[in-house]
Amino acid sequence: MSSLVADARPVRRLRWQVAAWAWLAFCVVVAVHQGRFWRANHFGTDVMALLPQDEQAPEVDRATRQLADQAARQVVVMIGAPAWADARKAADAWQQALDAAKAPLRPSALAGPDTLRDTLAFYAPYRDRLLTSAQRAQLEHAAPQSLVQNALGALAQPGGSLRLADWNADPLGLWPQWWLARASDTRARPRDGQLALSDGGLEWIVLLRETTGSAFSLNGDSPISDALATAQAAAATAVPSVRVVAGGVPLHAEYAATRAHREVDTIGWGSIAGVLLLVFLAFRTLRPRLLMAVSLLVGMATALSATALVFGQVQLLTAVFGASLIGCAEDYGLYYFASRQGAPGQEPLRLMSTLLPGLSLALLTSVLGYLALGLPPFPGLRQMALFAVVGIVATFLTTVCWFPWIDRGELRRTGFSNWIAASFARYPRFGATRGPWLVHAAFALACGVGIGFLHANDDVRQLQASPPALVDAQREIGRLLGLASPAQFFVVRGASADDVLRREESLKTRLDTRVASGELAGYRALSDWVPSQARQASDAALTRRVEDGVVAGVDQVLGESQQRARFDAAPLTLAQWLASPASAAARALWIGAVPRRDDGTAFASVVMLRGVRDLASLPDIARSADGLPGVRWVDQVQSVSALLGRYRHTMGLLLVAGHAAVLLALALRYGRRAWRAWMPTAVATLGTLALLALFGQPLQLFNVLALALLLGIGIDYGIFLLERQDADAGSAWLAVVLGAASTWLSFGLLALSSTPALRSFGLTLLFGILIVWFAAPLYRPRTAASLETS
Amino acid sequence: MLTFVRAAVMAVMAATALFATASFAATEADFARLIHQRLQASPVLKGEFEQAKTLKGFRNPLVSRGEFLVARGQGVWWHTRQPFESTLVVTKTRLFTRNADGSAADLMDVQAEPGLQQVNELIFSLLAADLDVLADKFTVVAQPVGANGWTLTLTPRDANIAKFLVRATLTGERDLQTVRIEEARGDATQIRFSHQVPAAALTADEAARFQ
Repeated sequence: MSSLVADARPVRRLRWQVAAWAWLAFCVVVAVHQGRFWRANHFGTDVMALLPQDEQAPEVDRATRQLADQAARQVVVMIGAPAWADARKAADAWQQALDAAKAPLRPSALAGPDTLRDTLAFYAPYRDRLLTSAQRAQLEHAAPQSLVQNALGALAQPGGSLRLADWNADPLGLWPQWWLARASDTRARPRDGQLALSDGGLEWIVLLRETTGSAFSLNGDSPISDALATAQAAAATAVPSVRVVAGGVPLHAEYAATRAHREVDTIGWGSIAGVLLLVFLAFRTLRPRLLMAVSLLVGMATALSATALVFGQVQLLTAVFGASLIGCAEDYGLYYFASRQGAPGQEPLRLMSTLLPGLSLALLTSVLGYLALGLPPFPGLRQMALFAVVGIVATFLTTVCWFPWIDRGELRRTGFSNWIAASFARYPRFGATRGPWLVHAAFALACGVGIGFLHANDDVRQLQASPPALVDAQREIGRLLGLASPAQFFVVRGASADDVLRREESLKTRLDTRVASGELAGYRALSDWVPSQARQASDAALTRRVEDGVVAGVDQVLGESQQRARFDAAPLTLAQWLASPASAAARALWIGAVPRRDDGTAFASVVMLRGVRDLASLPDIARSADGLPGVRWVDQVQSVSALLGRYRHTMGLLLVAGHAAVLLALALRYGRRAWRAWMPTAVATLGTLALLALFGQPLQLFNVLALALLLGIGIDYGIFLLERQDADAGSAWLAVVLGAASTWLSFGLLALSSTPALRSFGLTLLFGILIVWFAAPLYRPRTAASLETS
Repeated sequence: MLTFVRAAVMAVMAATALFATASFAATEADFARLIHQRLQASPVLKGEFEQAKTLKGFRNPLVSRGEFLVARGQGVWWHTRQPFESTLVVTKTRLFTRNADGSAADLMDVQAEPGLQQVNELIFSLLAADLDVLADKFTVVAQPVGANGWTLTLTPRDANIAKFLVRATLTGERDLQTVRIEEARGDATQIRFSHQVPAAALTADEAARFQ
C-alpha cells in the first residue's frame, strides 16, 4: 500500500529519541529485577498450580490440595523377594546405598511404641463409645446369655490373655477388633521392625522416605531418582531376584523438572540456533543477528519478570513455552531487516516509521491470539498468555525503539536473500479464473471429510506426562498397599463439625452395602476415628447395657464380684482429637471451616474410597451420595476432563470470533482486500484440523489453543505481503520465509516435547505454519498497478 | 496403631503356638538340633493340656482343660472341654472358633487381615523348632535343669511386642511340659501338657477339624 519511495513525510526524530531512552530505562529496571529473580530462584514445578481452580466449590479445592500436600513429599519404595530373609537383605543393602548416596531424602517417622501407647491412652476413656458397625449389629441382636458364653469362652481360650484394657473395661474383647478395623487403612503391617506385606508369592518391605529439600534444582540434576537407582542396583546385587518398585509425587515432579530443563535447553537453544543461522544466511552480517538476539533477550527477561511479579512464581512449563515464543517475536526484526535490505538508500528511522503501521497491526493480531490463551481459568495458561504477550510486546518495542538508532550503515543483499526474494515473482498466485475456485472446492471437500473424522478427547489422563514405568510403579504400589485413591472421593458438608460427622455416618451406611457386595474394599472416614455425638451416645448406652449383663453373668458363673469399669461421661470431640497426636493418621480427612453456604453448611470433610474393584462402577458408587444432604461426589479425573472439554468448546467459539475480529481489524486498513491477508490463516486452520484427523490425533484444548496462536502468527504474513508491493514485495517475502521458517523450527521442536500438552500444541503449529507459509503468497494481489485498474 | 494391634494378635498367636512345640528333646548340649530332629519325626502331635490364667481383677485363677492337636504345615487345633466347650483352630489362612454344634465362626482371615500370614509363619517355625527363625523375634536363653530338664526363656526383641509380652518360659524334659506367658499388664498364663502322643499322619476325622 504505502510505497517507501513515495513516503516523504518528516520523521519525528525527538519522539523516537525519547522512546528509545525510556525503553532503555525500563530495560535497566528489568535487568535489576532479573538479577534478583535468578538469585532467588522463583521457578516452580508444582503441577497442581497449573490445574484450574474449581470456583464452584472451595472445599473441593481444599480437599484436593490437602490430599496432595500430604503426598507431596512422600516417596514409597517397595522391595519384594520370594523369601522374607532375602527381602530384608535387599532392603538393608538398599538403605545403606541410599544413605551413602546422600540424597535429599530422610526416613519418614514411623509410629514408635510410645506413640502407640499414647494413642491407646488417648482413646481409652472413650472405649465404650467406639464400635464398628459389625459390633453394633452383634450387640444389638445377640442374646444376652450367648454373649456371656462368648466372654467365658474367651477367658478359657488358650495362650495369653493379651488385652488392650482390663477385663472389666472390655469383657467382650471389642476393643482390639475396633483397632483392627482402623488398621485396615493400609495392608502393610509391622514385621521385624519393618513395614511389610505378602502378595503374589512375594514378601514385600515398605520403605517410606520424605524429601528434605524444598525446591528442585534448576540445573537439571535428579538427585532423588539417581540415588534411588543406585540403591536399587545395590539391592539387586545383594539379592538378584529382588523386585524394587518406587513411587511418590517427588519422583514424578523431579522427572518433570529435569525433562522441562532438558526441553528448555533443546527447544530454546535449538530455536535460537536455527533462527540465527537463517539470519546469517540471509544477511551475512553480525548486526541483525546481534540486534535480534538483544530484542529476544529483552523480551524473555521482561516476560520472566512480569510473570514473576504477577504470579509470584514462574512455572517451569511456562518457561518451556516461553522458549518457543522466540520464533514468533522474531518476525518483527526480520521484517525490518528484510525491508532494509530491500531499500538500501532509506534512512533506518524513516523506514521504521513506514513499517510501523503494518508492524503494529501484526503485533495487535498476535497479542489477540496470545490473549485468547489466557481466557480459560487455568493458572498455567494464564501465565503462558501473560508471558507470551509481555514477551512479544517487549521484543516489538526493542525492535521499534532501538533498531533504527543502533542499525546504521549498509545492509547488502546476499545470494540467499536474492534467491528467496526472486522466487516470489515465480511463486504461483490465484488469478481470477475458474481454476482457484475448483482448487478451493476440492480443498474444502477434503477438509470437510477430514474434519468429519476428527474426534475430541478431553481425558486429562492422556496428558499424563510421566513415563509409563513410573505410572505402572505408582499403580502397583497403590494396589499392594490398598491405598485410597486421591482422585475420587466424597466431600461432606455440614453446619457444624458434628453435623459433618453425622452426615458421614449416613453415607457410610450406604457404602457398607457396597463393601459387603465387594465393589469396594472399604473407605476412610473421619467419623471412623471420631463418631458423631449421637452415635457415641447410643453406642455408649448399648455397651453399658450389654456389658453390665456380661460382667454380672460371668461373675455369677465364676463366683467373682467384678464391676464394669467406668468410662468418661463426656464424649470425644473432634477438637480434642485434632489437638492430639492421635489424629496423625487421619487428620488430612478434615477440611475444616469453609465459606458458609445458603444451606448453612460451613464445615467439610473428605470420605475416601479404598480398593474400588472396577473403575466402571464409580458412577454407581457416586450415586451413594444421592439424596444425602451435604454429600457431594468428586471425581477429579472426570471434572478436570470435563473442564478441558468445556474450554475446548469455548475456545473453539472464541477462535471463530477471533477470526472475525481480525478480519474486521484488517478491513479497517485494507478495505475490500482484507480477505487476502486473512485467507492463508483460514486455509491453514482448516487444513491443520484435517491433517490432525489424518494422523489420528484427538482434538483437545491444546490443539485449539495452538490454532488461536496460528491466527496471531499467520495473519502477520498476510499483512507483510499485503503491506509491501511491487519492488518491495521480494523483501516482504524474505521476511515471511525467514519468520515462518524460524517459527516453524521452534514450534516444530515443541512437537518433539515429551509433555503431551506441548506436543499436541507443537504438532498443530507444525502443520499450521507450514500451510500458512506456502499458502500466503497464493493470495497476494497481482500488482498495485493492475489492482487500481481492476 | 497397626503395630499395636498386630503386636497383640502376634503375641496371642505366638503364645498359642508355644505349647505346640511339644516333644522337645532335652540334651544340654544342643537341644535345638535335637528338638528339630524329634519334631521332624512326628508331623502330628496330640495330647492334653491344663491351663491356669491369672487375670487382673479376678480373685481366682481361670482354669481350663482339654485336648490339642498339632499338624505341621496344616495348623493347630485346641479343644477346651472344661469349664466350657469351645474350639479354636489356626490354619494358614484362617483363625476360627468352632461351636458345639460344629459350625465355624471366623475370627480373622488372611484376606481381611494380611498379618495373619506372618503369625502362621511364626507358628510353623515354632513347630519346626526353627530356633534360627525364633531367634529373629526373641532373645532365647536355654538353661539345663537337673539331670534331664531344661528351661527356654524367650524375650521379645520387637519393642512393640515387648509392650505386651514380657517373656515366655518353656520347661520340659523329654517333652515340653509347661509354658508360662507373662504379660506387661500383669496377667500370666501357665499351661501344662500331658499324655503327648506323636503320630505320622492325621486321620480323616482329624483332618476335617482344620476345614
